[in-house]
Amino acid sequence: MKKQLLVAAVFAATAAMQAQAGTMGDDNLSISGFGTLGVAKSNTDQAQFARYNQAEGVSDKARIGLDTNLGLQATYKINDWLSGTAQILTRKNTSPTFTTDLTWAFLKARINDETSVRVGRVVLPTFLISDYQNVGYANTMMRPPIEMYGQAPIENVDGADINYQHAFGAINFTTQAFVGVSRGKLFVPTGAGSVATYRAPAAGISFTGEYGPFLVRVGHARANMKINDLAPINSLTGTLNQFGFTQLANDLGLTTGKKIAFTSIGGTMDWNNIVVQTEYAQRRAKEPVYIPDTNAWYSMVGYRVGKVLPYYAHASYKDAGSSVTPPAALPKNSPLGAVVYGLLPSPEQTSDIIGVRWDFAKSLALKVQIDRVKPKTKAGSLIFVQPGFNNNITVVGAALDFVF
Amino acid sequence: MKKLIIAALLSSLAAAGASAETVVIVSQKNPATRMFSEQASQFFLGKSNLFTPVDQAEGSHIRADFYQKVAEKDPAQVKALWSKLVFTGKATPPKEYPNNAEVKKAVAADPKAIGYIDKSAVDDTVKVILTLP
Repeated sequence: MKKQLLVAAVFAATAAMQAQAGTMGDDNLSISGFGTLGVAKSNTDQAQFARYNQAEGVSDKARIGLDTNLGLQATYKINDWLSGTAQILTRKNTSPTFTTDLTWAFLKARINDETSVRVGRVVLPTFLISDYQNVGYANTMMRPPIEMYGQAPIENVDGADINYQHAFGAINFTTQAFVGVSRGKLFVPTGAGSVATYRAPAAGISFTGEYGPFLVRVGHARANMKINDLAPINSLTGTLNQFGFTQLANDLGLTTGKKIAFTSIGGTMDWNNIVVQTEYAQRRAKEPVYIPDTNAWYSMVGYRVGKVLPYYAHASYKDAGSSVTPPAALPKNSPLGAVVYGLLPSPEQTSDIIGVRWDFAKSLALKVQIDRVKPKTKAGSLIFVQPGFNNNITVVGAALDFVF
Repeated sequence: MKKLIIAALLSSLAAAGASAETVVIVSQKNPATRMFSEQASQFFLGKSNLFTPVDQAEGSHIRADFYQKVAEKDPAQVKALWSKLVFTGKATPPKEYPNNAEVKKAVAADPKAIGYIDKSAVDDTVKVILTLP
């Protein structure tokens, strides 16, 4: 019933927006939207496959919650140089039901033909497709590879960013820098699952060079992550404090705020019908914290045959060490030591993905994708894993992406 | 006889299609005199704000043909690219006008505008800076 309601709501909203946009006499207001109607399932009931930060994934029963979303955007042009934009996004995220968030809300000032400044809420461009990962129609793959996109915990900041664009001959150069404070929820899939709220001052910069069909982007972002209600970690640090391991407790926890850096290099190519998208990223703790350092990468190669684009991708993330060194007084084989040493390494996982995008009608794309997910350690990015389950899983999905 | 007429009609249509040349135009007040097709595509794909692009109607033949010629992209690829820019708040898509005459009027009125129309629709209110084969 809920599903039918949602689908009906999506179509009603689409129709209403189109009708409204059509009749709106005001040239300065533009309303647009994007969305995905998706269904997916896996081949096991022993674990769930989810997008990053989703409270509910898919197992062996088909579900629409993994990929279905609806975004609505309004932009009002105040004058030649000033405009305002707001975007809301409905999807299944940290709650098991569909919820709506304000994802973008900013005033944009065009300083000149090459520079603009935005003040308000902007989505972080941490990685190559971070700021449009929810727009299915703008992407080749059905979902961003979780191996990489699961490494960056925060989505948007309330602050400001600056965009600068300049052409050096045939090379188009863009740089974007942002600063602000991110606030939001993180789903913690430990036990029955819980939700933690974070606050993270963040800043970052990216440089993009584009030459015809080739694009290369380098990005760096830092966040000072502070979480007071991270239940599983707080309970561990509480115990450590009781046993006198106060330094270790301080090192592991996030209640005092911990600096984490993300560095990535990525590129895209759309040349002679060969479509490539590839990226490598490092997550590094800049002060001691339980969150492990990781290296992640993925590569996607597709070949366009008219309106049909089949693709293959491989994605991977690996542990790259820990910023925390437990004291010698806490032996690895003690009960508490085992918990701490067990916590520190990162899960690891690879995926092989095949899929196809078919642009079968105006503003509509149909995608079918099969993910072969191979958790290497700690069940990878799977959630709600049954004890002892250690298998590779297969996830099959179909999605209809639309823009209006 | 009917078949002959239809054949004649079809061949004349084909000839008209083949001979239709698209030209890229700016206002007479715009100092630009010549442009390469790669440069023109920058404005229509949201990569430069130096000129303000003016587009033909979505779904029109001239529009599909234009993007194919300047950027080797079909309408769906162009739409996907603009979706990326629009929903990250980076740019707003070009304003659309229903026909050559309206595009020409909009370009003539704005010294920063750039548009494209059928060669046969050109008059002295606008300046041709590029002819597409």
